[in-house]
Amino acid sequence: MQDKPNISAEDSPKTTFVLSKNGRPLLIEPDLDFIRMLGKHTPGIYKKCMQCGTCSATCELSPDPEPFPRKEMAWASWGMKDLLLGDPDVWLCHQCNDCSAKCPRDVKPGDVMAGIRQAGVIRWSFPSFLGKWASEPQSVIFLLAIPTLLLILALYLKDPIANVLGIIEPTGERIIYPYSSMFPHWLLISFFMFFSILASASGIIGAIRFWKAMKTTFPRKNPASAKSLFSSIIVTLKKIIFHDDFSKCTESAPRLWSHMLVLFGFAGLSLVTFWIITIRINPFIQGDFIYPFSFWSPWKILANLGGAAVLAGILLMIMDRYKGKESAHTGKYFDWLLLGTILIVVITGYITEVLHYVRLDPHRHLAYFTHLVFVLGLILYLPYSKLAHIFYRTTALIYDEYTGRNVEISTVVNANLTVNSDGEDSPRQEEETASEQGNATTQNGS
Amino acid sequence: MEDKIGIFICKAYGISEALDIDALCKVATDEYKVSFCKTIDSCEKPVLDSINEDIAREELNKVLIAGISPRCYTDDMFPQDVMVEKVALREHVVWCQPANDEDTQMLAEDYLRMYITKLQKMEPVEPFKSEEAIDKSILVVGGGITGLTAALEASKAGYKVHLVEKTNQLGGWLAKQHKSIPTKPPYRDLEDTGVDELIEEVKGNTQIKIYTSAVTSKITGAPGLFDVSIKSAKNGKPDSDVLHTFRVGSIVQASGWKPVEPRDTLPYGKVEDVIRNVELEEMVKNQDRITRPSDGKEVKSIAFIQCGGSRDKEHHSYCSSICCLTSLKQASYLRERDDDAKAYIFYEFMRTPGLYEDFYRKTQEDPGIFFTRGEVADVSRDDDGKLTVTAKNTMPGEQIQVKVDLVVLAAGMTPNSADGEAIRALEDARVAVTEGESDIQRDRAAETVERLKHHQGTEILNLEYRQGPDLNVLQNGFPDSHFICFPYESRRTGIYPAGSVRQPMDGIGGREDGTGAALKAIQCIEMTSRGEAVHPRAGDKSYPDFFLQNCTQCKRCTEECPFGVLNEDPKGTPEPWPTRCRRCGVCMGACPERIVNFKDYSVNIIASMIKAVEVPDEDEEKPRILALLCENDAFPALDLVGQHRMKYSPFIRIIPVRCLGSMNVAWVKDAISEGFDGVILIGCKYGDDYQCHFIKGSELADSRGENIREKLEQMQMENERVELHQLQISEYHKLPEIFNNFAELIEDIGMNPFKGM
Repeated sequence: MQDKPNISAEDSPKTTFVLSKNGRPLLIEPDLDFIRMLGKHTPGIYKKCMQCGTCSATCELSPDPEPFPRKEMAWASWGMKDLLLGDPDVWLCHQCNDCSAKCPRDVKPGDVMAGIRQAGVIRWSFPSFLGKWASEPQSVIFLLAIPTLLLILALYLKDPIANVLGIIEPTGERIIYPYSSMFPHWLLISFFMFFSILASASGIIGAIRFWKAMKTTFPRKNPASAKSLFSSIIVTLKKIIFHDDFSKCTESAPRLWSHMLVLFGFAGLSLVTFWIITIRINPFIQGDFIYPFSFWSPWKILANLGGAAVLAGILLMIMDRYKGKESAHTGKYFDWLLLGTILIVVITGYITEVLHYVRLDPHRHLAYFTHLVFVLGLILYLPYSKLAHIFYRTTALIYDEYTGRNVEISTVVNANLTVNSDGEDSPRQEEETASEQGNATTQNGS
Repeated sequence: MEDKIGIFICKAYGISEALDIDALCKVATDEYKVSFCKTIDSCEKPVLDSINEDIAREELNKVLIAGISPRCYTDDMFPQDVMVEKVALREHVVWCQPANDEDTQMLAEDYLRMYITKLQKMEPVEPFKSEEAIDKSILVVGGGITGLTAALEASKAGYKVHLVEKTNQLGGWLAKQHKSIPTKPPYRDLEDTGVDELIEEVKGNTQIKIYTSAVTSKITGAPGLFDVSIKSAKNGKPDSDVLHTFRVGSIVQASGWKPVEPRDTLPYGKVEDVIRNVELEEMVKNQDRITRPSDGKEVKSIAFIQCGGSRDKEHHSYCSSICCLTSLKQASYLRERDDDAKAYIFYEFMRTPGLYEDFYRKTQEDPGIFFTRGEVADVSRDDDGKLTVTAKNTMPGEQIQVKVDLVVLAAGMTPNSADGEAIRALEDARVAVTEGESDIQRDRAAETVERLKHHQGTEILNLEYRQGPDLNVLQNGFPDSHFICFPYESRRTGIYPAGSVRQPMDGIGGREDGTGAALKAIQCIEMTSRGEAVHPRAGDKSYPDFFLQNCTQCKRCTEECPFGVLNEDPKGTPEPWPTRCRRCGVCMGACPERIVNFKDYSVNIIASMIKAVEVPDEDEEKPRILALLCENDAFPALDLVGQHRMKYSPFIRIIPVRCLGSMNVAWVKDAISEGFDGVILIGCKYGDDYQCHFIKGSELADSRGENIREKLEQMQMENERVELHQLQISEYHKLPEIFNNFAELIEDIGMNPFKGM
């Protein structure tokens, strides 16, 4: 647990967001569309925020220097989009909604933070139109069409390509009733591998863009608490694996368990997948590959347990959303899209498995195809859906460890909003001065 | 008619257990030869009925009931032609003194003596009857929302109204507004002002005579007898071009407000496109579009700066309570016209009283209205024609800037009032500049003229009152009155300020005030026609009688009367206008010749009460202290002391006075000569936050301290023997301490050497 300072009546209400450098004022041009977007995203009318600071005081994750989400609420009320999208603190929030539950004006800061994160995903992802599609219900048809068409295309092209490359699917007595008759393994592996790499690359591009934005917008550096990049990454990974931050939430404690189940479930499933992908080079797999695994194979057991964990986790998450309808989080399209996709992936996965055991043709192929469409969707939209938090939150956590938080004063500058009254300074110059003034090491951050 | 006094002594409430009732009766029957004295078993209704039977049977015309506090009775309990006095044996004797004690008995007997004496000296009260008939019409000055409402409400109640408006149209500021802030649930949507309908209704009312482009050039007389002259607002000196004259009974002054001039640190008048809220309102009213004054371009963004001059100790210290709401309304104008427009509101405190908070919340929901606390440090004009507003200590950042097309200063309200007292002082000083007796006097007068000359030409009512042509003002130019406890009251009887001249308010407040002031005006007319006093001694039929043959033209009464009752003839002899009088008795206290008296309250009556007290010889070691307590706070506080059974010195003899300002210095002299060892005076709080019901009474009493000291010196007595205290009723618990401390002090000083002389 974080030690909270004992705030007395005298020193509590003063707002202390130092936003200017060299004593220069910050020019604000509110983005009305951003405000309208956040307005749609949040059930509470967030502009009613009165800056009481209950949210920051309640939040167990919020650090003492420059706590969130109070300052983010002020910036959001003023439509300061550029500033918020480069704000690491937005991603330090794990949306446990303690703040939303305690907010005396019912403006749901937790949802506002989620909305800002969504806008961040749209802004930093590449190509960003996919991010936009992933955030609006009317584009769901495109989202569905892309993996479907890709898979159909792959099915049409599998034989010509196999002929050209001379690929022969392994056959043998122990390969019984194979799905590979429909979607050969070589295709499955190469196809999905290709898109996984593509998605990861896109996600990394987004993360780098975000890192740069954070560096220019919040170029703080506190030598007392800053870490090296390597140890920042290690600390962050530890945090993620052990769910340190999740465990601090009080309002929705089940979130710790549901997220753990989903995360580790997927980890198990990925392990099995990688085991299979390595079939041709894996020295531990001798002789003919037995596919599918028998039900009692340790790998099959791991896969089934992983699937069950994801299913259980997702169901817990959905229950949490419903239960929280009145108090905290109600969930939005962006959120439901991911939950729904994962749910469908798991369910179609199990259906495929069951249909396989009962050998029910041709339905099993249909189920398998559906399963593949959603798995591909999950992979394709990794950098654009809510799943993008894998990239952005991790990046923000690393940045937070790497820079350390300024305990005394933060020199904060908004790179995109630095036109001053004399009108001479260009944003670029501002940025440079900011870096100089901050700390040289921030330059080498990425 | 010969007096027939009846005395009733109550035995209940522990009185008979604590006091020797027979001895009390003997005081009445033996000492004062009162023929009718009986004991009663309580002071409840059946007993009071039996007293009334006794009054009728014995033909008593003066009655004393010694029992419970006078505050427990109402006037209608006894026949109107019988004078009834009450002694609070319960509250003032047995509840605060030990039972069956010699001193307690002496106290009770003294009270009996004092009040029997009072009854003997009191004369029957005849209400003042004006020679001329009391006029029952009402003058309303100002045709804004308050004046219109007052006129309409008064006419609906059956009173003829004269409505005088300075400009050429009715409706005041509200008629210049495009929309009104929400006035009804759910307090979210702007509304029509409704003032047009009100104007039509007033115009269609035959009982209301409207004079537009007109002002009151002269008002003479007094409540019920005000003679009003009207002249054109445009031209001329006060007496020229009188258009109309008429008589009214009472006056509602709804002269409204004007916008505050923004403070120097704001760029109003220095930077183009920096305007005040009133100017923006007028723009929207007249052209519906919001444009920049400099180039006529459509405005896409506005910065509102709250408290544009208000709440600044150096400039305009108070909050006008509606400027925040006006800015919210005007921000809504901008947003209604353009969905991409932006309004920024910089405030120190957003003040949206009561349910108007809901309107504030509604505007917060608007994506294009931005709020922050903060201090606007600079407004400057850019090359592109926009204005850059720089603000410090804001919520989104320590120093921020926004670029806008227009800056609107939320200007507060200043009352349209005139300082009658200052105008009079200016006139007097002008005379003294030439006619002063010495150089020093003439120089001082010249200084005064310099200091007050900005009051010249500010007259509104033009009253012919010795104390000045307009109402007295207190702080910030608002007419002097208890604005919370006694709204619409002023220091000129029958003249009731209402609306924004009285207190900054919105249209709803104006309507409420117009109605309230109309009721006050009606009440004044009706009570005056019956010869009764209005607030705070409502219903009192007595009035001061001036025995002018003995007047020395010292002018103390004309100057000290808090209500300007007295004019002066050229020689300086006071000319009383009894219907202006509130019956406080300040004139009685002021008069060194003791020629001002009421039939039932006079210098002689109180002096006789003082003399009625039996003062023991010096060697008995029983000092006597006279306490004169103000009837409004200190005397009721004494009842509370009794109710809380708090004990105090038995040597105090208390006499209530109408106001401490009615205390005549002669009484102090009388008390000391009679052998009293000290005098304690307790009145209401005075100063800027005064609580005196007659505004100046307790302060005047204090100012008479010099006279008292002189008297004491003549008698070779110590100054400390007279003390003045200020007390509010909630401080009743301090009374015993005040009494006891004073009693100890007297013990230290020693007995009065005049005893027994």
